Amino acid sequence: MTLLSAIGAPFIPHWPQLKPFVADLWIIVTIVAVLITPFFTRKSNIACALVALAGLTGALLCLLVVVRPEIYNFHYNGLLVIDQFAVFWKALLLVFVMGIILMWLSTSAWTMHEGDGPEFFTLLLGATLGMSLMASTSNLLMIFISVELASLPSYVMAGFRKTHRIGAEASLKYVLFGAATSAIMVYGLSILYGLYGTLDVHGPAGLAAKMATSTGGGALLAVSIFGLIVGIGFKISAVPFHFWCPDVFEGASIEVSAFLSVASKGAALALLLRQLMLISSAFNFQNAPHVSLSAIAAVIGVIGAVTATVGNTAAFVQTNIKRLLAYSSIAHAGYMLCALSLLVSHDHPILAANEINSPAQTILLYLAVYMFMNLGAFTVAGLVYRQTGSELIADYAGLGRRSPLLAACMFSFMISLIGLPPFAGFVAKLNLLLVLINNGGWWWALVIVIGVNTILSAFYYFRVIKAMYLADNNEPGFVPNPLGSAIALCSAIMLVAMIVGYNPFTKLTRNFSTIQFEVRQEPNSGLASANP
Amino acid sequence: MPNHLLSILIFLPTVGALLTLMVKGRENIRWVALGTTILTFLVSLLLFASFKWGSGGGYGYAMYDATGKMIDNSGVVQMVESAQWIPAFNIQYKVGLDGLSFPLIILSTFICVLACIASWNIEKMPKGYFALFLFLETGILGVFLSLDFFLFYVFFEISLLPMYFLIGIWGGPRKEYAAIKFFLYTLVGSIGLLIVLIGTYLYSRQIVPATADHGAGTFDLVRLASPAFQKALGPIIGGLGGTIGKTFFVLLMAGFLIKVPAVPVHTWLPDAHVEAPTPISMILAAILLKMGGYGIFRIAYPLFPEAAKQMWLLIAVIGVVSVIYGAMCAMAQTDFKKLVAYSSVSHMGFVTLGAAMMTDAGVNGALFMMIAHGVTSAMMFFVVGIVYERAHHRELGRMGGLATTMPMYTAFSTVACFANLGLPGLCGFVGEVMVLLGSFQAARPGSILLNAGANPNTIRTLAIIACFGVILTAGYMLWTMQRVFFGPERAEQKNFPEVDNREILVLTPLTIMAVLLGVLPTVFFFVFTNQTVAGFFKIFG
Repeated sequence: MTLLSAIGAPFIPHWPQLKPFVADLWIIVTIVAVLITPFFTRKSNIACALVALAGLTGALLCLLVVVRPEIYNFHYNGLLVIDQFAVFWKALLLVFVMGIILMWLSTSAWTMHEGDGPEFFTLLLGATLGMSLMASTSNLLMIFISVELASLPSYVMAGFRKTHRIGAEASLKYVLFGAATSAIMVYGLSILYGLYGTLDVHGPAGLAAKMATSTGGGALLAVSIFGLIVGIGFKISAVPFHFWCPDVFEGASIEVSAFLSVASKGAALALLLRQLMLISSAFNFQNAPHVSLSAIAAVIGVIGAVTATVGNTAAFVQTNIKRLLAYSSIAHAGYMLCALSLLVSHDHPILAANEINSPAQTILLYLAVYMFMNLGAFTVAGLVYRQTGSELIADYAGLGRRSPLLAACMFSFMISLIGLPPFAGFVAKLNLLLVLINNGGWWWALVIVIGVNTILSAFYYFRVIKAMYLADNNEPGFVPNPLGSAIALCSAIMLVAMIVGYNPFTKLTRNFSTIQFEVRQEPNSGLASANP
Repeated sequence: MPNHLLSILIFLPTVGALLTLMVKGRENIRWVALGTTILTFLVSLLLFASFKWGSGGGYGYAMYDATGKMIDNSGVVQMVESAQWIPAFNIQYKVGLDGLSFPLIILSTFICVLACIASWNIEKMPKGYFALFLFLETGILGVFLSLDFFLFYVFFEISLLPMYFLIGIWGGPRKEYAAIKFFLYTLVGSIGLLIVLIGTYLYSRQIVPATADHGAGTFDLVRLASPAFQKALGPIIGGLGGTIGKTFFVLLMAGFLIKVPAVPVHTWLPDAHVEAPTPISMILAAILLKMGGYGIFRIAYPLFPEAAKQMWLLIAVIGVVSVIYGAMCAMAQTDFKKLVAYSSVSHMGFVTLGAAMMTDAGVNGALFMMIAHGVTSAMMFFVVGIVYERAHHRELGRMGGLATTMPMYTAFSTVACFANLGLPGLCGFVGEVMVLLGSFQAARPGSILLNAGANPNTIRTLAIIACFGVILTAGYMLWTMQRVFFGPERAEQKNFPEVDNREILVLTPLTIMAVLLGVLPTVFFFVFTNQTVAGFFKIFG
């Protein structure tokens, strides 16, 4: 140890400084490990998957063991931040990506060309790193870098089925869309920098504080916030930036679609949530003379309502399960955006009291539930595809007889996605409506929109259920891949567990919904000693 | 002494359902299912031993005098079991029994046994069928016993899912359409319920403070209805009869009236009934519709009595229109089962009307109507099922002369039809008469509605219109009997077998109940409800 620090001292910063981001460092280490795995084995695809799994497990363990409340703070001169909220998101993301890798093993591993594994997992882990960082920064530069770090590997992964024409098309569409929106976003960010002369959103000299006391530049500010919303909206697949979503989901292989449906959207929501929290708390939840928080809230709320409605209505006519799930994920992103609109304009005591669920907690809880629903639903879709070679909902006919377990799991995911008991989708929706109704005012409109959307969505989710149980064909029964079945079953069990154990679950998310607003000064922090 | 009888009752069918999933062979599955329903019925009979008939005890709408001293907490709800489920929101697992739920519990377990016998010849996937059947029974019993709004909602939704499959898989030619229609209609209503559930909870947070073991607010239905709570709620929501109170009341009523079902949201019912298999129709008509009625009396009226008084006209008109329109639709049907389905709409209209009138006789009559209709509609649907099994069609125009072919069947059917049309001495009569009496009572000075500013002539007019419903009912029932049973014997029906032992086994208990309820309504029914209804009127004010 002393030798290591003696050698590394000039180059490697001290351990206390690295400690908060141990999970992200582990992901980087895992990427390197994945890249060198092919040197040791011929079966590199499976080996890489196992190495990635091991690395992610290590990252998760380190995150849970090492990162403690006393190091929750801004680090590296405010470039990165770690707090309860970031830890929760990182843990969620790591669990989810581990699920994705297991899903890959059970569904797509058999079709992947031998030797493609290292690249695939490098890309997957690279995107994961980006998404992990997206939730722990409030610096404009880091925002852009982490969004790009998450996006660029995603573009490649979308087209990773190299022999599929439709995959290539999806990838190209994704790249073009992504390039355009990130150009607009970086434009917006540069205007923000020009307006206020700082890259930090947080802190007394940060963007948010300056925005609150600004005396002009309203139009430029609007343009820059528009740019930010375009960039983030693309990642969330909010309407009207959602066009890539169904095509990419259809063209990409199933585990990539599942990955994008939760991780990409969740990371973008987490990013947006943090910035909005910082801005609105700097504003003290009131409109400043030149910046109207209510207007931002209204924009986000309207985008959320429109996204949910468009997603649900477009899902009606889908015949492909992946496209259906794509539109369903658009709709769910819309629901979460509705909750985000509450962060901005708050004349209600719930945040202060923190006794009832805050919007941040609602989104964390929703994401956690949503993760299991989508992981499970995509896994079942992948297993059925592996068996039948079809992604059409019509080919789910008789699944209740052919594979009762898969059908029962799929049934629970569909019911949960509608938001009905006895599955956790219900508590997620309940929480969402609870915070919206608690705020009253024009949020009642969102309550109505969500209510109507729930009914709309029931119709198309039930089309899957109808196909599985009410229709039948003469196909023989089959035994699905045991690993895949285990993932689906575990997800379904988690969904029931989260409603039965709603109390600990809600407490957990409540504890982890706190966000670090300012740099915490500590007399003997690692930061001080490391900067001579 | 803690008494877990109610929890056992709720979850016994679930255990049975898991058991049916485990056993093999159609014969075994049927017997396990039947055994479970019979056992559940026996357990429900055990409730008689624990139920206190007199003053009751336990848990009531706490009444306080002006100085804040509790003067009356006499039992509305008995045998309460409660445990914290989600302390953060003060959501409890809380079940209890009172005069409102007791008859419905007995009816449910009773009808489930009969429906299980009626399902004896289900050929297609018996394992799935009986498992879903038993899950449905758990959902039903859970709805009727829940005293916590959240728990009620969960059971209310859970009971939807098995029904979807029971109609959708084992139904007739248009089963898929009927199943999703049933589901979506109820879902629309339950979204409204969910909003009220959340809204009421949020307001209750300002009244019920947090304690060491649970968060602020309450979902406890009895507590939400208690006068002390209502008094505190009034100023918070801008008057109990203010906009918020009215909106919440309307949302609740919409949710329950869809389930009842009342005109104009009744259109799912004929479709669901026509497509559902006979035993499921029996359960649907006899029990599931009662969830709507139960919700009206358990939640909508006690939680928002002031709004209910102000909205009485709307509810009463919906009730009367349901009675008349349902009866007229029934008259126009050529499909036997659809006719019975519309007669359900008509009869359940009396329940809505009885609730709207807010008089002693009206409410008692409405509660009686629910039980009486449970017995007669189960019987009618089984009667239709028997003839459908033999003729493979339900066209009234192609029937006739069954009295010669199947005399015993005709005898049972006659009882069912007469009970349905409200012949004195059979159960249908008591409910209709009580509701109509209650309606006229509401027009007398001093009634709740008149005190709330209703016009007595309007009430009388509505009551008189509703009376014509009775005549219309007699009209279409008698005409149906004429078309099905009388007239010359038809050649294609000559070889129809007479009702077999299994069918007699189902019809006999229903016939006995129809007569007993009609002859001795007090002994068999009102002794349950009197005390509970008296409790209602304490909170209606």
